[in-house]
Amino acid sequence: MILDNKLLILIVEDEDTINNFIASMLSSNDYQYVKARSGAEALAMAASEVPDLILLDMGLPDIDGSEVIQKLRSWSSVPIIVVSARGHEQEKVKALDLGADDYVTKPFGTHELLARIRTALRHSNNRPANSEEIKQLNFGQLHIDLERRLVTLAGSDVHFTPIEYKILVLLARNAGKVLTHDFIIKQVWGPYTNENQALRVNMANIRRKIEKNHAEPKYIRTEVGVGYRMVEN
Amino acid sequence: MDEQRPNPEGLLGELTKSDEKRGKLKIFFGYAAGVGKTYAMLDEAHELLSNGVDVVAGYIEPHTRAETMHLLEGIPALPPQRINYKNIELREFDLDAALRRHPKIILVDELAHTNANGVRNRKRYQDVEELLDAGIDVYTTLNVQHLESLNNIVSDITKITVNETVPDSIFDRANKVKIVDVEPDELLLRFEEGKIYRPDRAEIAMDNFFSRDNLRLLREIAVRKAADRISHENLNVKQISEKLADAKLIACVSHSPSSAKCIRWAARMAESFYIPWAAVYVEDMDPEDLSTEQKECKRSNLELAERLGAEIVTLSGVDAATAVSEYARLSGITNIVIGKHRRRSWFKADFEERLIGLLPNAEIHVMPDSKPSKKEAGLRARWKANWREEWSANINFSLQDLLISVLLIALATSISYLLKLAAIGDQNIIMVYILSVLLISRFTKGFLYGILSSIISVFLFNFFYTVPYFTFNAIAPGYPITFVIMLAAAIITSTLTGRVKKQARLAVQREQRVKKLYDINRKLLATRGTQNIIDLINDYLARLFGSSVIFYTNPGSKDAGTVLAAAGDDPEFLMHADEKAVANWSYLNKKEAGQGTDTLSGAKAFYIPVVSQGKSLGVIGLSCTKDKLNQDSRSFLQQIVAQTALALERQVLSASQYNAKVTAEKEEMRSNLLHAISHDLRTPLTGILGASSTILENSDSIPDEEKKKLLMNIKDDSSWLIRMIENLLSITRISEDGTSLVKSSEAVEEIISEAAARIRQRFPEIKLSVHVPEEVLIAPMDPILIEQVLINLLENAIKHNSVNTEISLQVKRVQDSVEFEIRDFGSGIRADDLPHLFDGLPSKDSSPDALRGFGIGLSICKSIIDAHGGKIEALNNFDCKPAPPSGRIDESAQGALHGETRKAEVEPSAVCGATFRFSLPLRDDDFGQ
Repeated sequence: MILDNKLLILIVEDEDTINNFIASMLSSNDYQYVKARSGAEALAMAASEVPDLILLDMGLPDIDGSEVIQKLRSWSSVPIIVVSARGHEQEKVKALDLGADDYVTKPFGTHELLARIRTALRHSNNRPANSEEIKQLNFGQLHIDLERRLVTLAGSDVHFTPIEYKILVLLARNAGKVLTHDFIIKQVWGPYTNENQALRVNMANIRRKIEKNHAEPKYIRTEVGVGYRMVEN
Repeated sequence: MDEQRPNPEGLLGELTKSDEKRGKLKIFFGYAAGVGKTYAMLDEAHELLSNGVDVVAGYIEPHTRAETMHLLEGIPALPPQRINYKNIELREFDLDAALRRHPKIILVDELAHTNANGVRNRKRYQDVEELLDAGIDVYTTLNVQHLESLNNIVSDITKITVNETVPDSIFDRANKVKIVDVEPDELLLRFEEGKIYRPDRAEIAMDNFFSRDNLRLLREIAVRKAADRISHENLNVKQISEKLADAKLIACVSHSPSSAKCIRWAARMAESFYIPWAAVYVEDMDPEDLSTEQKECKRSNLELAERLGAEIVTLSGVDAATAVSEYARLSGITNIVIGKHRRRSWFKADFEERLIGLLPNAEIHVMPDSKPSKKEAGLRARWKANWREEWSANINFSLQDLLISVLLIALATSISYLLKLAAIGDQNIIMVYILSVLLISRFTKGFLYGILSSIISVFLFNFFYTVPYFTFNAIAPGYPITFVIMLAAAIITSTLTGRVKKQARLAVQREQRVKKLYDINRKLLATRGTQNIIDLINDYLARLFGSSVIFYTNPGSKDAGTVLAAAGDDPEFLMHADEKAVANWSYLNKKEAGQGTDTLSGAKAFYIPVVSQGKSLGVIGLSCTKDKLNQDSRSFLQQIVAQTALALERQVLSASQYNAKVTAEKEEMRSNLLHAISHDLRTPLTGILGASSTILENSDSIPDEEKKKLLMNIKDDSSWLIRMIENLLSITRISEDGTSLVKSSEAVEEIISEAAARIRQRFPEIKLSVHVPEEVLIAPMDPILIEQVLINLLENAIKHNSVNTEISLQVKRVQDSVEFEIRDFGSGIRADDLPHLFDGLPSKDSSPDALRGFGIGLSICKSIIDAHGGKIEALNNFDCKPAPPSGRIDESAQGALHGETRKAEVEPSAVCGATFRFSLPLRDDDFGQ
């Protein structure tokens, strides 16, 4: 049992090079780590070591990464960040829909990974104090008053349609996290609908209302092929 | 020659292969009704059933024999098709039900049966062929007298002509033939007991057919036929190649019904020696001159020969003997079968004698024309009637012809009068009259005017120019002889002229056909593309036959066919589903069908499949609403179709050749790519290896500053490698035709903004301005790939200019597509490189290191855009106006920027940066499927 108050991160990765580099990066940033080289090992260690966060590579030698997520989610709500290659967008979407908290695309920089880890940890800490009690959300010049359903940008009111507002709030409540297209559609329009195009159009309209140049958005970023992410402060 | 000759093993392989799919035919073969064929067949069926074989009784003729009917119980049977024909309900074998049911073995009684009108096939053996083609085994029964080649022998013996015949090829192709035999005495006993026919019909049959002698002979023929089959079975393998040799036997066919005997005899002989044979028809006169009966007879003779496996050869020539001997000599024919009338001709040598004279080395078989049977005598009588009819056809009254005749005779009379006045002899007057008759024959139709004017001339000569003048009396003793000679000379002249005219017409017609064929062939050779070939053929057929044409390449599919209407012919019906079904039958069975054939003759058009190397390439339908196709035009059509088949096959071949070429090119491209990549990859890897080992080995001696520089190099090189590999991976996401592309509706601005964000991340100091329109553009695409394209193009712009170069990225809608434009204000693209920019190869004289990844990135862009059905281009700018600070470029300025006129005016030195532009379709036809 590690008695330190440093946070413990479980690295699930079968490639030693990557494993080593992540490990050294984590320890130099004041995290503790344990390593697992297979899915089975990962599941066992998640139970025995109770990590604060799991970094999970999707391509494991024994079981599929998504299966690991499924099994973990059956008993634990530990934040999971998925590591997956570019081009495997469907894999990321699946992982996110199964309950992974975030993803990083291989190859990734250390800054990027550390930022994701911080975000994920913060979200898991905030969880009990979540949802209903939050009355206001702020992102730079963008203020969302959840009680009065009012959005202001640099002090002036911005008018949204109900759907646009729903989408904006959904993203804002999960700021820093990627929400998949499917997740947003289900939350806004309900299940059994296919409003892919409507989501794109609504998002374009939201951006035209809150972004200075909608061609280079500052508040809501697109994760191509996966979904959207509200940029945290 | 060697190439044309199929490899026997291949042929055998093909035979066995097709055997696997084709059903097996077993024939229960007997010499007369009542020998117990059906009984034997049903008996065997029971045995198979008890072994668990799927046997179905397709159709069993109702028998009077109780034992047979009793055996039918217990065998699952298909209900017969009921056909209403002239208010009589007929029961027929239901072919379609059988094909749907698709049993292992089906029993179909009476192979020789002729189906009622309204059933798809005219003959039951055609039904059986279809069953076999569908892979169903068929058991059937057949009597010896129904075999085509034995038909006349049997009718000679029994004096009963059997009309229902089965081609010998069916019998020869049967996998098993089981002889059902019984002693003639036993059969007669059965017969007397009424087991074969009902008692009322028994007596008639008894007298005619069931005599002991007849039965004994029939039995012998049947057994011999079966024995022949056995001996052939042993020979088959060896003979296949010999069958390809030139025909050694020909039968001379005329348009008389007695030729049938000749044909059957030749077929039997060809079969017993297992040699191929040909039926030769000599066209010695205008086919139009034949009576309808004769035409019909000629057609049926040639059809019979074809059914019996002959090759049909039509020769033309005035003298049949010369034409036949010429053909025989050229084709190395050794045996010739001819028919012979007993009528003796006094004037000219007999055909066979002339043939013997011309072909001393060939064997000539003379078939005596048997005493005309009642039917044939009837035919003869009708011929005579026809002959009269023909005469009346020749005596067609025409005012014009009459006028010509009267004028010419009047002219002759006046000239003669002048001659007489000049007292230049009687002979000249006769000459003038004969000349006028000649001219009349030349310029009028038929014999009538020529012959009439001959007679009139004689009378006029008599009236005007013989003493006593102006009377029909002739007192001089020599005059009657003069008249007769004059008449004979005039008549012969007129008939000869008529014949020459006819010959000339025939020759012209024949020449026209040959010319047309040659013409078609020449045009086909110059035509590329299946649709062009079809259009060409349709055009020719519609003009040549004056009927509407339809051409299907695959009538079984949705192919609606290419229709061409002939003048005055409504092609509407050709498009009907019923007609298409006929076309499809013809296509699938590789046989002619429709009007004038034995299959689906209810159709309003004639369908001929376009077959090459045993494969159907299409089917042509020719409307027959005006009149039925005769043998002549049918064979002409066959010739054209054969050429079409060749052309289509060539098309198919060239298409596959083209594909092979494309594959080879792709292969080359791939290897070029691989070559370029391996070079590109090696360079940064060497850098990484060198830098890292330097640090590892000299970590103490290198100053920190230097170390950091080396590490930066490693980082740069490896990130370059990663980008390179991402690019290469994106190729695996697309196939050449873009079918594997997973597209989704994406907002263009989202892709643009992400690409811009990623570039900014890598090059924070970049001067990039991005502009997207107010309108939300949503296009089907693979977003990851399009993002890759944008990143590659932006990176390319940065790499070839300095990082301080201004770059603008903008997108706009152009009609039905969305256009992306990446414009830089740097040094532009070298004119030499411009055409090869997307080829995937670095330019020859530029150092590859300096332009690392230059070509590959762009070539990948091109493949991605191509796979999306878009277009990509690169051009140099000729205007140095920097992009507006807002990144907005108004449309009018943009128009002037790339205006053609500007390009021409400005010197190349004025080149100011490059523009890469690509467009994607906004709508995707196959999107969402």
